[in-house]
Amino acid sequence: MTAGDLFLQQAINGLSLGAMYSLLALGFTLVYGIMELINFSHFNVFMVGAMIAMLTLQAFGLHGQETILTGLPLIGVLLVAFIVAMTVCGFIGVAIERFLLRPLRSVKGPAAMITTIGVSYILFNVVLLTIGTDSKNFPNPLPPITWEIGGAVLRLREILIWVIALVLMGGLTYFVTYTKLGKAMRATAQDPEAARMMGVEVDQVVMSAFFLGSALAGASGMIFGLYYNLAKVDIGFASGLRAFTAAVLGGIGNVPGAMLGGVLIGLIESASGQLVGTAWSDVVIFGILVLVLVFRPAGLLGRLAPNKS
Amino acid sequence: MNTTTAAHPSATLTHKQRSMLLTILAFIFFAVLPKIWTDDGDLDSLANAMSYATLALGLNIVVGFAGLLDLGYAAFFAIGAYYYGIFTSFQVMPVWSDAWAPLAYVGLVEKLNQGGPDLVHFTLSFWLALPTGGVIAAFFGMLFGFPVLRLRGDYLAIVTLGFGEIVQICARNMESLTNGAAGLNGVQGPKLFGYRFGVHSEPYYYVGLLLVAFLVFVSFRLRGSRIGRAWMAIREDETAASAMGISLVNYKLLAFAMGAAFAGMTGVFFVAKLQTATPEMFNSAVSSMLLVMVVLGGMGSVWGVVVGAVLLQLMQTWFLPQSSEWLHSIGKLTGIGFLQTVDMVQWTQLIFGVILVLMMLFRRQGLIPAVRKVAPLTMQQQTASVVRGGFVGLDKIGRWAPGKGDALVIKDVVVKFGGLVALNKVSLTVPDGGVVAVIGPNGSGKSTLFNVITGLVEADSGSISFNGVELLGLAPHKVLEAGVARTFQNIRLFPNLNVLENILIGEHARLKTGPFGAVIRPPSVVREENSAVQWAKDIAAMFSNRLTPRLDQTVSGLSYANRRRVEIARALASRPKILLLDEPTAGMNPAESLELAEQIKSLHDLGLTILLIEHKLDVVTRLADNVIVLDHGDKIAEGLPDDVRKDEEVLRAYLGRSGGH
Amino acid sequence: MLTRRNAFKAAAGLAATATVGVSQGALAADKSIKVGLNMSFTGADAESATRVANGAILAFDDANATNAIKGYKFEYVKFDDGTATAGQYDPAQAATNAKKMVSDKGFVAALGPQMSGAGKAMAPILSEGNLAIITPSSTNPDITNPKFAAQYRPAGKAIYFRTVATDAFQGPNMANFMAKTLKIKSVYILDDSGAYGVGLADAFQGQIEKLGVKVLGRDRLDPKAADYASVLTKIKALAPDAMYYGGVGQAGVKLAKQSYEIIPNVIKAGGDGVYSTDLLKGAGFPAVDGWYATQASPHVTEDKSAEVFTTRFFQRFGTHPDDYAVTCYTGAQVIIQAAKNLVAAGKEPTRDAMQAAIQTVSLKGSLIGTVEFDENGDMKNKVISVFQIKKDTTKALDDTEGQYKYIGVAPMA
Repeated sequence: MTAGDLFLQQAINGLSLGAMYSLLALGFTLVYGIMELINFSHFNVFMVGAMIAMLTLQAFGLHGQETILTGLPLIGVLLVAFIVAMTVCGFIGVAIERFLLRPLRSVKGPAAMITTIGVSYILFNVVLLTIGTDSKNFPNPLPPITWEIGGAVLRLREILIWVIALVLMGGLTYFVTYTKLGKAMRATAQDPEAARMMGVEVDQVVMSAFFLGSALAGASGMIFGLYYNLAKVDIGFASGLRAFTAAVLGGIGNVPGAMLGGVLIGLIESASGQLVGTAWSDVVIFGILVLVLVFRPAGLLGRLAPNKS
Repeated sequence: MNTTTAAHPSATLTHKQRSMLLTILAFIFFAVLPKIWTDDGDLDSLANAMSYATLALGLNIVVGFAGLLDLGYAAFFAIGAYYYGIFTSFQVMPVWSDAWAPLAYVGLVEKLNQGGPDLVHFTLSFWLALPTGGVIAAFFGMLFGFPVLRLRGDYLAIVTLGFGEIVQICARNMESLTNGAAGLNGVQGPKLFGYRFGVHSEPYYYVGLLLVAFLVFVSFRLRGSRIGRAWMAIREDETAASAMGISLVNYKLLAFAMGAAFAGMTGVFFVAKLQTATPEMFNSAVSSMLLVMVVLGGMGSVWGVVVGAVLLQLMQTWFLPQSSEWLHSIGKLTGIGFLQTVDMVQWTQLIFGVILVLMMLFRRQGLIPAVRKVAPLTMQQQTASVVRGGFVGLDKIGRWAPGKGDALVIKDVVVKFGGLVALNKVSLTVPDGGVVAVIGPNGSGKSTLFNVITGLVEADSGSISFNGVELLGLAPHKVLEAGVARTFQNIRLFPNLNVLENILIGEHARLKTGPFGAVIRPPSVVREENSAVQWAKDIAAMFSNRLTPRLDQTVSGLSYANRRRVEIARALASRPKILLLDEPTAGMNPAESLELAEQIKSLHDLGLTILLIEHKLDVVTRLADNVIVLDHGDKIAEGLPDDVRKDEEVLRAYLGRSGGH
Repeated sequence: MLTRRNAFKAAAGLAATATVGVSQGALAADKSIKVGLNMSFTGADAESATRVANGAILAFDDANATNAIKGYKFEYVKFDDGTATAGQYDPAQAATNAKKMVSDKGFVAALGPQMSGAGKAMAPILSEGNLAIITPSSTNPDITNPKFAAQYRPAGKAIYFRTVATDAFQGPNMANFMAKTLKIKSVYILDDSGAYGVGLADAFQGQIEKLGVKVLGRDRLDPKAADYASVLTKIKALAPDAMYYGGVGQAGVKLAKQSYEIIPNVIKAGGDGVYSTDLLKGAGFPAVDGWYATQASPHVTEDKSAEVFTTRFFQRFGTHPDDYAVTCYTGAQVIIQAAKNLVAAGKEPTRDAMQAAIQTVSLKGSLIGTVEFDENGDMKNKVISVFQIKKDTTKALDDTEGQYKYIGVAPMA
């Protein structure tokens, strides 16, 4: 491999990671934008998403890497798995919001955030006690198609992941820009008080943010499974932390910022694996985060809210 | 009156006595426990629980007192632990040279020969490491804190989470220093007068107990001091805290450093007890579990977090394993298969998660709440006679001696928010000893004017000088130090603190007690604190008996008018040279407005300079020497109250529109 | 507390006799030999801890059922050194457990811990109490290294025994095998940041450099991270003959999957950490095909005992045993043999007697060959067997016995 091939290959790796982090970061950013809440349960909603997707694929009789599908069956199976994972996760998110967070909405301080930490524990341990702690062989029905670009290799699954991520992000952008509910969400994020006075149903907006964010986490979990052919109870923390960092890097509360941040974190992780060693990746990622926050406290695309006093 | 003043102090005294008695009893109980309960394993378990109690106490300073969400607190635990571990083990052994001789002389190192050249073996004493470990962790606390403490709370959470990870990664990968994942070898246990602690639990138990006692003492001393009040003010309302003269950066750093110091000391103790250290001991699970302990016990509650830590630790190491055995026995008796095999220990984290959620939903204040419930006032106390017509007891306050010139000179100040011009070249002058009122419709820029004077909003151009000092560019707490105190339009008190504490926070900038003084409490500090409390009571007493009987009531429970009064009292407590009042009578009924207007007038009579925002024109007419009218950020009129009232443009801009709603 | 614990035990015991009936009544007079099982039953390693402990439970139950020692019954008490606070093994809790065992004179031997970090905290305490412990899986050489004797056995005698080889042999012997038998010229070395993995990779690296094989790089994987593509891409660009991985399944599964995709033609090898059901189940075929792994014991080809053990283990517990279930089973057998020797010689199996008996035990024909200990507590037997994964569809695809093919003995370093 030449240096150019190596660069290209690491860029492909980084973009795939970035696609996953972006989707996950969107969930953080949607909820934060509307409620100013760091939702730690998101980490493990993502993990549950990977597990649900795995169980769905297994329900189709797919196990490990043995069965390869093509054409319509492949698309159908993947579509069903995505829809199931996203729906289940979406409703988990809605349930968390409706039953555990709504009673705390008027409470100041970290109560709601601590609740999400508790929920995260609960999700983790429920999966641990039911599905177990060992690494699961996530079914991979994709045919092993690859393309050589110079010395670099591009796999079908990478293309698939990028396409899915772009479609979902495009859909979300369309939703928040053009639909009534999406506009209500943006309005609430800007000024909840004014939005309420203009007749926005805040309950509905918050619930949709949780549904969408959690559904994207479910999609992200499915992508994780497809990309690594793996699901494990502890995948939430490492990926979630990077995704959250991505959301902050891009400017938390800002939808394009989360996408940009995710891709950047993916590329940074890839580059640091090449240049510094994977053991130091987290140090590099957090180092960059601190630098960005010190020099641009609102994140790359975020803007500072005027001080309301 | 007599009954009120007599009843309350005695009630608090009994409470104090009772808690003192409980503390002493608890201490005696734990001190004699090892003599009754001699199981080495159980004592060790208790010693571990004590370590977590001290960690929780430290985290409580950061999260509970100062309200800074630290999700990577274990980092400082690790720093203290590795500091002791490295300097008492065989991990780092530089080649001996005579430069080490002085250190060898005081016993910090020894010469060692394992074949080959002479090496240096570090032999740091535990008793020296304990305080220095705290200092080193505090240093790292400030190092980590400095770049990020300016950030908003949520950003702080993620960055601290990152620091927690980074420290663990460093411990894992800097193998020459830490021996990496394999863990340190040969860490020495403590010695005391030749007695080696070795591997027996009892001496560690006592050290742990003393450490808990010491840190509980420090926590209480800090909480009841100027330092603790400043932290709690930041927790309750950062903006108001800085406007009351508290330097946010300094006090956040101090909280971070102090919390880190607790963790560093615990780290030294923990590793001395364990005689090894591995990176896993300091992972993110530890940080979040400590948060659970603090939340369970009660954020900000000193005894609460100790109880929370000990409870959680004993629950997982004692109660759950035992309860599985009980369930197994029940299962065997009843023949229910599930009960015979269930392992409660595997459910620990699930149970913790449920506890956390339930606590947040149903008992947010924790097991032992930080804020004690105070009995409501009796009818008699509430209806006690109110003296009208200005402040009372002003002789205790003293007089201001206004000079002849202008106190506050504002020139051509421009403030823009994005495209919106909030203030457009506004100029005004407040003469020494004068009262100037600013009026104008909603959104005309009045509050922005106050914010720009007090440093909460940056000006784009212009100048604001106060007694010759340029205020623009100063941080809010520096503005207060210069003698400018303010109130807020929408009342920004510290809701979970009581009336006395709120007023005392106003005095912050005029007091000097530092962290060491607060803990040691030498006579000078006791004197300062006593006179501060006296001053606060004198200020409160000015409002007749509106506030005096309510001094130990939490302000969130006060009536609206009383909260306004507390805010004014808080501003006055800072001994300002100029008082900025932002709609002081808003939300008051006519009688209350009148009462307050009289009181402000009497302050004016004492020579205090006042800048006032007010909607009620009768109040303005009664008080102001001069009136400024703002509209859309422009000054549209200025003059005597009666002249301004007749000004056509003012009537159109101000009354015309404000009459509309 | 211990009195209360015992009271409950007694109550439970009575209840059992009452319900099961006469057959047990006759045994009530048997003296008990109490053994502590210290594993990390809480947190990240909970599942493997249960599997490992089950190995010992199988051995003790067998001994009790066959009345292996007349007049004595084995009683095992589980100790959990994992805490929710640490989220996994917690050295502080391990130390507490060691103290509990030491202060209860009833305990005469122990099995565990799984992790070297816990072992380091336990060893000094156990040494003071002269309570022998046999670890089925902690491989860090420090604890039994005479250099650190003052730290880990302050009372002098060896109390930390292993039925698993330390990293000091597995790594170097495999280095010999790869250099001499596989004739590799260059290698890239990875570890999983854990005590076991780092030690193994270090030992491997030391020897392979001596043999003149070019080490193209050394990197450390974060076992919690998901993505190793970047480091594997880096390896691909360097084009080594082989990749050696020191570590266990947590990172190993991900490494196997991703290296199969990115560097399919590079020889891949590891230690006993990649000889596991986890790898077969988690990564599966074709990703694991061709991996080399080692076992720190001679391979018993003619003997079907391994297969018998696997079947019985599965029938009893519903899971396949992993490697450390085997070493723990063997550890329990060592304890049983030591007690048997004592009783045969007319001695009481006290704590001191058990330490001496374990030190001099010779357990022949175990699943890992003959077990004897040197004066430090390490196994005398230092044979390292090499295996390679080759897909055998006639056997269960997650059965280690079926899928790991014996290649030979790795040359001694």
